[in-house]
Order: sequence, then C-alpha cells, then structure tokens
Amino acid sequence: MKIKKMLNKKMPTNLSTQTKPTWCPGCFNFQILAGVKKVLEEEIAKGKKKEDFAIVTGIGCHGKIFDYLNLNGINTLHGRVLPACLGIKIGNPNLSVLGFAGDGDAYAEGIEHLIHAARYNSDLKYIVHNNQIFALTVGQPTPTTELEFKDKTTPLGVKILPLNPIKLMLASGASFVARVFADVKQIENVLKKALKHKGFAFIEVLQPCLIFHPDISYKSKIYSLEKTGHNKTNFEQAWKKAEEFNYCLKEKTKIPTGIFYQKERETFEEKFPQLQNLKKKGIGWKDIRR
Amino acid sequence: MKFNILFGGKAGQGVNVLAEILGKALVKQGYYAFCSRDYQSLIRGGHNFNVLTFSNEPIASNEGKIDILVALDENTEKIHKKELKKKAIILKGSDDNMYYAGRLFKLFCMDFSILDKELKELEKRYEENIREAKQGYNEEKREFCKILYKGKKNAYFLNGSQAIAQGAIKSGLDLYYSYPMTPSTPVLGELAEKQQEKNILVLQLENEIAVINVAVGSAITGAKTMIGTSGGGFDLMTEALSLCGMAEVPLVIYLATRPGPSTGVPTYTSQGDLNLARHAGHGEFLRIVLAPGDPLETQESVSQAFYLSQRFKIPCIILGDKHLAESFYTFEREAKITKTEKLTKLERYNGYEKNPETGSATDVAKIIKKNVEARLRKSEEIKKEAGKFSQYKIHGKKNSKNIIVSWGSTKGAILDAIKDLDVKFIQVLYIEPFPREIKKEFEKAKKIILIENNSTGQLGNLISEKTGIFIQEKNKILRYDGRPFLADELKKEIKRKMK
Repeated sequence: MKIKKMLNKKMPTNLSTQTKPTWCPGCFNFQILAGVKKVLEEEIAKGKKKEDFAIVTGIGCHGKIFDYLNLNGINTLHGRVLPACLGIKIGNPNLSVLGFAGDGDAYAEGIEHLIHAARYNSDLKYIVHNNQIFALTVGQPTPTTELEFKDKTTPLGVKILPLNPIKLMLASGASFVARVFADVKQIENVLKKALKHKGFAFIEVLQPCLIFHPDISYKSKIYSLEKTGHNKTNFEQAWKKAEEFNYCLKEKTKIPTGIFYQKERETFEEKFPQLQNLKKKGIGWKDIRR
Repeated sequence: MKFNILFGGKAGQGVNVLAEILGKALVKQGYYAFCSRDYQSLIRGGHNFNVLTFSNEPIASNEGKIDILVALDENTEKIHKKELKKKAIILKGSDDNMYYAGRLFKLFCMDFSILDKELKELEKRYEENIREAKQGYNEEKREFCKILYKGKKNAYFLNGSQAIAQGAIKSGLDLYYSYPMTPSTPVLGELAEKQQEKNILVLQLENEIAVINVAVGSAITGAKTMIGTSGGGFDLMTEALSLCGMAEVPLVIYLATRPGPSTGVPTYTSQGDLNLARHAGHGEFLRIVLAPGDPLETQESVSQAFYLSQRFKIPCIILGDKHLAESFYTFEREAKITKTEKLTKLERYNGYEKNPETGSATDVAKIIKKNVEARLRKSEEIKKEAGKFSQYKIHGKKNSKNIIVSWGSTKGAILDAIKDLDVKFIQVLYIEPFPREIKKEFEKAKKIILIENNSTGQLGNLISEKTGIFIQEKNKILRYDGRPFLADELKKEIKRKMK
C-alpha cells in the first residue's frame, strides 16, 4: 500500500537530461539554463505538463541548451529559430513555445525573421543569448560586437557601428521588449513576466564570453529600469532608454536592464479563426481527422 | 474533328477568362478541350494569348495552326498572322472580351442559354458581360461547326494548380505556406480561398526560408503540411530541405518550374529543375520526387506524396512546371486518392546527428554510423511502397520497337502526336525512387527517342545513371525556348527521328 502511495505521488519534474554540458567552466549559459529550468519546473509543479512546452534552438554555444533541457522541440538551423517556433505554435497553438538563439542567429543570419516575428506578435518567448561574439566558431565579431574589437578575422578592428536590437524591436512593433544580464535571478524574473505576456516576448540576455569576449564589466554597468520608475507602457520613454547603451562597453557606460516596453495587442493566433478553434478545443492540427 | 482557337490581347483585357468559359462550356457539352496560356511578366498591356484546342476525341495539347483567331487588340492579328490556316476566321472589332464569347457560341451553334449559365457562374460583371455577349451573339451570322450535346457525365476542366490544391485537400492537408513566385502562386490563391470552408490554414510568409522553416515547425507537431515555390525560392529552401533529411521531417513540397537559371523567363515553361529536385541540399539523405504529367495525375501524386512522406518521414517533392500549372485539361474520371493517417508527433527533433535515446546532439562514431544506416535503410521500404503506385506508364502501341521516353507536362503533346504512329511512349512518374525495371522496356527497343522541355536532357542522363542505357544525342528532341511542345510540330519531329 505504502509503496503504491509513494508511486502515485507526483515527483517534482526534473527537466535535466543525461547529456553532460560541454559549455566552458563558468560559462554564463549555465546561468541562463538554471533560470529557465527553474521557471519551467515551477510551471510544471503548478499543473502544466512537460508536453505543454516546446523549445527551439539555433546554432552556436547557446544552442546546446537544447541538449540540457528535456523538452520536445527542435534544435534547428542557424538563424531559423523563430520560423520553427512560429511553425510549432501554428501546429498546436496550445503549446507554450520558447525559442533560444545566439546573437549570430538572431541579429545576423536570421534577422529578417526577428523583424517579422515582432510584427506577427505570435505568442512566443524568444531569448537571445547575446555574448556579442561568434564563440563556437572561435571568436569572430557579430552585429552587436563593439567598435574596435579585434580578432584574427578582423585585425583592423570592427569599424561598423553595432546594431541596437532593443531599438530594432521597438521600431518593429514588438509587444514585449526586455534586456537582462545573464544571472539566474534576472532570467527567472523576466521569463516569468514574459510567460504571462500574451504575445511575442523579446528578451535579450547580455552575457560575457569568458574566452572570446571576456569583458565582465557588464555587472557593474547595469541598472534596473524598474527601480528607476521606468514606465514600460510609454514608447518614447522606452526608446530613450534603448538609446542609452550602444553596445560599446566604455568606462562610463550605463546599461538599462528589465522590461523596456510592454503593451499587449491582438496575437497572431487570435487573428485566425482556425487557430482559435484549435485553442478552444485544446488540440493541434494532428488531432483533426478528415 | 479538332479545332484551335487563339485568343489574343493585352494583359488585363480578360483573354484568360474568355478562353476558360468557352472551354468549360465545350467540356460540359461532351467535348474534349485543352487550353494553355502564354503571358508576359507585366500587369497591363503587352501581348497575352490563350490557345484553346477542342475535339470530339481526347486531347491534351495545342497545335501550331489556328482555325479561329480572336483578336482583342490590333497587335494580335499582326503577331499571329503566320499561324493561321488558309480558311481561318478572324474575329475582331471590339475590346470587350465577352462580345467574342457571344460570337463564338453563335459560330458553334450553341444556345445562348449555355453561355448565360457560364456567365452566371462567373458572377463578376454579370450585367455587362451578358450585354456584351448578346451583342456578339446577335451580330455573328455565320456557322463554323455544330456543337451538339453529347450527354457525357462527370467531365470536368481542370488546370495543374487547381489539381495541386484539390489533391492536397483530398489528402487531408492542414497547413499550406508559400511566398509568391510564378508559376507556383496560383496554388496559394486556390487554397487560401478555400481555407475557411475546408478548415485549413494558408499563410504567406516573409520569404521562402521562413516558409520551409515554419513548415518544418508545423510538420513536427503532426500537422499535414505542404509548401509551394518555384526554382529560385526552392534554392533558398535547400538548407532546410537538408534539415528535413537529418531530422526526419515529413514535408510535401510543390516545385513549379520556369526557365532558369536565375530569374530566367518568369512566366514561361521549362523542365530544367529535375536535377535540382534530385540533388538539392547538402549531405546524403533520401527524398521522393514525383513528376505528374497532367492535372489528374497531379492530384494522385499529391496524395502519394503525403502518404510516403508521413510513412517514411522524409521530404517529398512534386515537380511541376508552368505549362502543367496553368493549362486546363479535360477529365472524365476522378483521381485515385491515397489516404494517409497523421503519423508524426512532437518529440525531440534535431538538425545535428543525435543520440536517439536522449534526442541530444552526438559525435560518437558508433551512433553516427548507426543513424546514417538507419536513415538509408528506409530506401528499400520506400521502393516497395512506391512500387504499389504507377511509377511509369506505357502509352501508345504496346508492342512497338520505337520507344519515346519522357516525363511531366510533355505527356499531353506526346500523346496527341503519336496517335497514328508506330510508337510506344514510356512516361516516367517517379524520378525518386526511379523505377529501374524500366530497363527491360528499353532493352526491347530498336530506337529510343527522348523528349524533354530542357536543353540537356536531364531525364536521359538519369536513365543512363540508373540503367546504363545511353540515348544518342541525335535521338533527343529538346525544347528550351520557354514554350511547350505543340502536337502537330512534335509529330513531324518524331517522324523525322524515326526514319
């Protein structure tokens, strides 16, 4: 009897896999993994099922998170995280879909999808691991690498102004725009809010790469938007805050973190009666018999 | 009896709809009609024309010589003068398209009520159309031929794009994604119009890369997913095609060819993408490539594509072209649709070589080897399953030693060209897996003639690769000017090759 009772008792779900992480020791990706895992495991403890989630990852160091999270989904092509997310969400709008991408995926190879994802406003959560470097290919600059950065492929130094993804997202109509530092607490905090947000949530996670972009001064430069009384529903204020950091880390740089902008509007899924119908019935296309 | 009518005018004058209305009416009367479109890449002006061929016997192509010329503008007569038969009739003098419908119905001694019914079905501009049509009907005093009702049942007039759409719906399509590109675009329209009625979702996305990657996402949730594009768009999709090969994603891809390379000749026809369909994508992976020859086969191919892709979790390409996509054919039987269950479910998919136990990426030699072999092993099963369908068809004189071999949209012109020739026509429908047993047909031949709408004879090369049989250069009939074969001209060429 006792054993049966014990077996029936729901064990807390552990989203770990058997795969041993191959990130460098101390890599900030561990912080992101821990934060994401904690939030999702809590969601599952509160009644969600593991199968209610789907994850999509791209190519680069960030993409290894697929191997360390025991969830359904796809580790897809470089730059194509968002289309795969959208496809899964359309396939079954009841799924909670999270995309993980690097700055190479999000801002270089697949930047067109980022702009359109903001327009579409599908109910997806998109986490960009921005270490301002192509790390897995051993250290080339990305679109958010600071001016004058030098490496083997760029001996004269980066001459082109970095992209400001926060501004890009605001201009593209994203309904949730946030930036955090790669710290478990910050990840947890923002992801919880993003999951509650109805629509596309863009979360940029700034992280040093200990090997190829090892400036760890972010920590002393960041400050919380929330604590300064930032009004996240005010677009002009959000834009001003976005302009404070141009991705070049200088001594006096101040980096705002937290939610820059949040305003819910009709989601992609709400626009199509076919998808609303699936949502109402709690099913995906797979369950439709013809 | 066989007549060719050419309808010419500027883009936007309604040449298309005029030809289609007459074609439909003739089919309903029990005749066989075939109608192709020739149009330029522009919206207004220029010169567009349709050729409608009809007969009391089955036909599936046009001829080069014209019996009736319908000229909606002055240019038409100038351009097509040389194609007219000696006693050809020229209809001109108005730029209202339905005025000519009236005249033609009168020339064919068809009751005005038949035209009225067609115009009602058209809905758009009914009042104006009927007024124009009546004027034409009353003005025309001649009689060209007598179209009598033959009481044939179930005949219908269908083009290749409609066939892709209908075939997909009949096969249980859930989702269709695309980005506009001629000649695949009509399918997007056909399906989008029906999405609410059929409870499917049809979306145009930001580019072809998004199209295939969104499709991959949907396909792995178990939705029956199809995408459509043309050569250039397909090029953009090839990385994700390779992803389908690795991650084992069932996806149906409609590839409608136009003349390349590059932007080429956007609104004309070609069979230049057979090699592309076979080889696109990096790495080694299985795929299925189907090449239907008419809209009926197209519907059947679509259903087979869904069946095989679901069953084997591989990408399946339906190879068409502009000529098939935009030409109307007459059919008397319904397509045989192969039903498929949804066999895919969301699990851990990976573009990396993966450990099947964890779904995580791996670089372990033993697992890599095992995975590669497991994927390739499907090929035997696929061959067996594909063998249940017609992978090739034999037409014409079954015992003839003269063999014509071809594939895809050349079928119609070849069938019409060989009607009274001592020829056996082998039509290949499965490019992958290729029906190797075809070899025994070739071994019996005295002469093998290859007919393709491309400049290098890609099927010919495939046959050599798979069977070791080489078709001599002098026995190849290749057309690569963007135009489809015409039955009368092709017949002459075949006869020359047979000497």
